[in-house]
Amino acid sequence: MASSESTTTSTTTKVLRLKSSDNEIFGVEEKAALQSETIKSLAEDGYSEDVIPLFNVEKKTLAKIVEWLNKHASGSSKEELKRWDADFVDVDKDVLYDLLLASNYLNIEVLLHQLAQKVADMIKGKKPEEIRQLFGIKNDFTPEEEAEIRRENAWAFE
Amino acid sequence: MYVEPSLRTNDRLALEFLKEVTQFRRVSEAEVQMGDVQDPDLISDLPQSIIEIILTRLPIRDAVRTSILSSKWRYRWTTLTHLVFDDKCVRIYSDRPVLENCMVKFITRALFLHQGPIHKFQLSTSFLQCCPDIDQWILFLSRSDIKELVLELGEGEWFRVPSCLFNCKRLTRLELFRCEFDPPPSFKGFLSLRSLSLHQVLVAPEAIESLISSCPLLESLALSYFDSLALNIRAPNLKYLCLEGELTDICLENTPLLVAMSVAMYMNDDIAEYFEQSSSCNFIKFLGGVPRLERLVGHIYFTKYLSIGDYPGTLAITYSRLKIIELYQVSFEDMKEIRVVLRLIVNSPNLKELQISGSSTTVPPVEAPDLEFWAKECPKDCTFKQLKVVTMTDISGVPHEMEFMKLLLANSPVLEKMSITPCGYVIDPRLNMLVQLVRFRRASAEAEIIFIQDETLCIS
Repeated sequence: MASSESTTTSTTTKVLRLKSSDNEIFGVEEKAALQSETIKSLAEDGYSEDVIPLFNVEKKTLAKIVEWLNKHASGSSKEELKRWDADFVDVDKDVLYDLLLASNYLNIEVLLHQLAQKVADMIKGKKPEEIRQLFGIKNDFTPEEEAEIRRENAWAFE
Repeated sequence: MYVEPSLRTNDRLALEFLKEVTQFRRVSEAEVQMGDVQDPDLISDLPQSIIEIILTRLPIRDAVRTSILSSKWRYRWTTLTHLVFDDKCVRIYSDRPVLENCMVKFITRALFLHQGPIHKFQLSTSFLQCCPDIDQWILFLSRSDIKELVLELGEGEWFRVPSCLFNCKRLTRLELFRCEFDPPPSFKGFLSLRSLSLHQVLVAPEAIESLISSCPLLESLALSYFDSLALNIRAPNLKYLCLEGELTDICLENTPLLVAMSVAMYMNDDIAEYFEQSSSCNFIKFLGGVPRLERLVGHIYFTKYLSIGDYPGTLAITYSRLKIIELYQVSFEDMKEIRVVLRLIVNSPNLKELQISGSSTTVPPVEAPDLEFWAKECPKDCTFKQLKVVTMTDISGVPHEMEFMKLLLANSPVLEKMSITPCGYVIDPRLNMLVQLVRFRRASAEAEIIFIQDETLCIS
């Protein structure tokens, strides 16, 4: 079915060059790259012919982001994307944080929300102690303070 | 892990070095002292905007419970701008008064501890009905910059919306279920409202009409389960319309930007009678002023409704953007309904997808069907230039259904697929339908005809 329309796109697709903070350059088709609002505004500011510098994203993270951008511009079916996305966010916590920060900086809303959902799913239904352990959060409350907070929020703990 | 005091300084220096070399970020003092560098707390130092997105995606009970994780988390939930309360706020298995009490306590406390603006407040619960606390919450919200408000309470006693709701001047979305209201006389409209949904709402038709026309930016309107509602809709920015219920009359008086609509009309005897008496042309009233329509979905009785009244003969507008038409329960024994379908598809030159479900009975009509009708009613040169997919369901194989399919096949040069699902109880005429279908000329060499048989029904 796609063949009837794809023939009209005779012009060569434009490739944007994205540079990570550690100087690795990634070529990404414009259509895929512009899913990032940050890249979009940088491209509009005249960076599009040149290399677009992304000072806050390291190459290992940018590689993952580029993978996501390409997949989401590939015209995959909704079901396939859903499966693919579930695998994509199933990563170690440190990778997850890097992706969160990068998608926030690059302003890719769909990805940011997928990642946030993943973190939310990890927190959901767990006891405070389990959450602390999972994310390495140090409980810096004194027992008295902790008791006070439990009293303050008793309506959510009962 | 025990670290000798004298070594600690060295360790820290070594770690500082490591941080510089590997850009190992966000290792806080606390963890260095804990010797817990393998699993540093990265989540607590994420920017507040990201934390807020994460907390907003948690059920509110879980979000509140993060306050006990550490001092960094203590008040993080309290500035969330989206608050969604549902039955899961309460985890106690108890009888109704207890649940109701817990729910009220939960929401009141949450609002009391909250700080800053609340942009979205949603309450979807079966535990609460009418209670004075809800009025107070709405009053509180009306003072806190509320933009989206959704209220869905339990069945039973209907909730009466307090008049302070109409003071929420910045509302962009309002969704109400099972309640009644009267806008106060001083109400001048929701000037920012873009989306309005009223489900099973008890309100005078004039009040709905004036509510709709006093929301100048309204883009999306959904009304469902109304009794004998007759309505004139004046909404110059309306793009999406969804109507469902016992609707006696609908006039789209000023909706020039409408893009998509879905209509289901349920019928009782009174309405049926009203329908028959009506003489103005429903087709013109409903579809005469929507030139930008892209998608039309008509459920039960919609086609029948459109067929009523004296049609002036020609249509002043062309639906040049209409790409998808779905009409359900079309009676192919009623020539007026067939005319509605024809009129729509002939005046939609860019139609891509057409879905029709039949509602014909299998009892042979008393009179022989007038097949001349098709030659008379169809323009000689009519072609459906863009039509790619046709889906026919609940087809019983009556002559006019077959003629309709014949017309589509003969005049759709780019047709890719026509799928036909016969009516469940029609068994015998299936072979006859197939024999006829095989003979029909097809303007598109690519057209595939798919005849879908439900095997379970064939056996019975």
